[in-house]
Amino acid sequence: MKATIAQYYAGDSLLHRLDPRAKFVAVSALAVALFVRDSFAGLAVYAAAAVVAYALSGVPFAWFWRAFRPLLWLVALTFVAQVVFAPGAPFFSLWFIHVSWRGLELATYLSLRLVVLVLVGSVLTLTTPSIALTDGLAWLGRPLRRLRVPTDELALMVTIALRFIPTLFVELDTIMRAQRARGADFRRGGLRERTRSLVPVLVPLFVLSFRRADELALAMEARCYRPGAVRTRLHPLRASRADAALLVVTAAVIAAGLLV
Amino acid sequence: MSGPEAIAGAAPDTPRAPGAAGMSLACGDVSFSYEEARAPIPALRDVSFELRAGGSLALMGASGSGKSTLLQVIRGLDAPESGAVLLDGAGPADTLYAALQREVGLVFQAPELQLFASTARDDVAFGPRRLGWPEAQVTAAVNTALDVVGLPPARFAERHPYALSGGEQRRLALAGVLAMGPRLLLLDEPFVSLDPGTRRQLVGILERLKAAGVTLLLATHDVDLAWALCDELLVLGEGRVVAAGPWDFSTAGDRLLAANRLRDPFFVELWRRLGRDPQRAPRTAAEAAEALS
Amino acid sequence: MSSSPDETALLLDISGLHYRYAGAQADALADLDLTVREGEFVAVVGANGSGKSTLARLLGGLEKPAAARRALACGHDLLGEDGRMAVRRDVGVLFQNPENQLVAQCVEDDVAFGLENLAWPAADIGRRVDEMLAHFGLEELRRREPHLLSGGQKQRTALAGVIAIPRRILVLDEPTAMLDPAGRDEVLIAVRELRGEGLAIVYITQEMDETVGADRVVALERGTEAYAGDAGGLFADTALVRRLGLGLPAAGELALALAEQGRDLPGLPLTMDELLDALGAAT
Repeated sequence: MKATIAQYYAGDSLLHRLDPRAKFVAVSALAVALFVRDSFAGLAVYAAAAVVAYALSGVPFAWFWRAFRPLLWLVALTFVAQVVFAPGAPFFSLWFIHVSWRGLELATYLSLRLVVLVLVGSVLTLTTPSIALTDGLAWLGRPLRRLRVPTDELALMVTIALRFIPTLFVELDTIMRAQRARGADFRRGGLRERTRSLVPVLVPLFVLSFRRADELALAMEARCYRPGAVRTRLHPLRASRADAALLVVTAAVIAAGLLV
Repeated sequence: MSGPEAIAGAAPDTPRAPGAAGMSLACGDVSFSYEEARAPIPALRDVSFELRAGGSLALMGASGSGKSTLLQVIRGLDAPESGAVLLDGAGPADTLYAALQREVGLVFQAPELQLFASTARDDVAFGPRRLGWPEAQVTAAVNTALDVVGLPPARFAERHPYALSGGEQRRLALAGVLAMGPRLLLLDEPFVSLDPGTRRQLVGILERLKAAGVTLLLATHDVDLAWALCDELLVLGEGRVVAAGPWDFSTAGDRLLAANRLRDPFFVELWRRLGRDPQRAPRTAAEAAEALS
Repeated sequence: MSSSPDETALLLDISGLHYRYAGAQADALADLDLTVREGEFVAVVGANGSGKSTLARLLGGLEKPAAARRALACGHDLLGEDGRMAVRRDVGVLFQNPENQLVAQCVEDDVAFGLENLAWPAADIGRRVDEMLAHFGLEELRRREPHLLSGGQKQRTALAGVIAIPRRILVLDEPTAMLDPAGRDEVLIAVRELRGEGLAIVYITQEMDETVGADRVVALERGTEAYAGDAGGLFADTALVRRLGLGLPAAGELALALAEQGRDLPGLPLTMDELLDALGAAT
């Protein structure tokens, strides 16, 4: 079983080389702009921009599709919910379901907006390795340090957690198989029985994780890690003119989307 | 009734060949692949071999050769995509097959990673309770299993599993499988990261189980321990059977192990260097010392 | 002017070391002495519970000793907080579990971790990481994620990460215990190379065959020293070896079995060749 939470696709495109901070700001701004004004035309502008960025990234469609497919149900749900519950004079009624043109229009818009939102966000996650992203977020979150929020330590925690996710999946699978070999059945019974049957799986996983945390902390200290100390990076974040250009282009796209 | 004899075949309702404690095993052209995102990964390819009731087989091969996969398929955690695993001659279509599978014990690598209960007794009792045995029988099975692995119930039954030493935990996990009365015992690298003392204890436990007639299938990379415990050998290479059958150190079987990145057992090599017949080399240091005196 | 052995730098100067875990009945380490000089390879052997891992953590400045007459590691005092922090820079420690030492999402980043903690400039980190990857044969695995590495590869990565920080002495706590034979060989070769480069090493193990070629062997038993001296002396005392409950290679086990039958071999052979010699000499 392979788990890929971060959908990062390794590459060397223009988008890959941009600073994660600039990308994050650009994507966040676009995401906000999507919700500021309801307009199909605006949506089309943003969608076009995302598709262009996507094309520039060199990520194969199949890769994107694999990450996107699980979200299709959410899009479908949004569509159906809007159709059923939207206001407007219905042209078709079945029981409590009233379908109106207004409803269909609203449902289409909202579903498409969701798709564009995911598309825009994906450009970020597909072209930015999670460690660069957490570094970027830690930098952007620097002001929070004044509020005693340990942003650098949090960023490291996220990186370490991500590092162990695939390992934990394998260990979870192994523990489940071992308990199955002793007769455990995780698919039998109602909710209560199934929850109880998870105890022989979750307890060992927790214990394993606590032991791991202990040993890992020791290994980190042995390599001179000190929380709160200043740390440099092997791959430091380096903003360039291209990043400034990205922000300018993004501003232009947002303006176009709002005005069109 | 206590000791290893009680362990072998403690399940109350499974018919078996009279007088045979162990289960026989046969694999016929067993193949299995892992589903992966891009393409299925073949883990086992046309694996065929036989192991008689009460026999002992060492399963060897490099990392990734399919040893763990084979053990899990034999136990029934995964179904082969082709071929069949025959337990006591019965195939998957047989009505007794599910019950027979429950008489196959599988001890995973680092089994102490699956300990979860708050007392040793409760952890060992997990398997027997899952089998639906009456509580009195569960208690008897738990006590017997704890005795067999050298953790006398009087001292250990109420202890918390995590308060035990590493070696004790490993033996406790083994007890959890033995309490189910397996007639065929599969072990996946049981000696890894064990301290020397516990290693010796484990060898002793397995020898007693063998003497009680339990069929043993031991996956290990330790050639010398395989030599000490097992009559026969099965070598896997990239999912295929490379060699199967009794150990063969005659000129015909010469260098077979070396060709598969395994070395000959120490005593076999020693006998060779002393000019004695390697086929009759001793299995343990005690035997060797006697032979040399 | 040649320096006498006593003038060679004393990297570890420990005397009367005590440590007890909170709530424990007995000392984990009791009145332990240990000295290690530049370039020495000292093997520390002992069964489970003998205090080996505790010693490793104390030597690395990762735990505070309960008491000691003298506890100097590379000139820093282990009894003081500042001393312990400084020791973490000079004394490298490699632990048993390869999985629980790797922090980053790829090999290259993990090897860099220690240097990042020391706030080295990025360019210097890059150079040193390249050096380490080349030294330990990890170049092709540079961007590989940890969960895709074999046990031996993980442990070599961890070792590269430890040594990336230039060290004066390396402490290894049973580094091969959780590895398969292939992984074990990889790590032992890497350690042998480091030794060849002159790095002082404290090698903690339960397996006697990993002590082959050590300059000195220290045997621990329940937190105290049961033997300290050259390897040959320990190997000659078969009763002591048996009492210490150590792992002997097959040759050694046979020698002990023969001794039980009344046939004592000269010394304790650890390899087939040594055994054949001893048998030849005995007959």
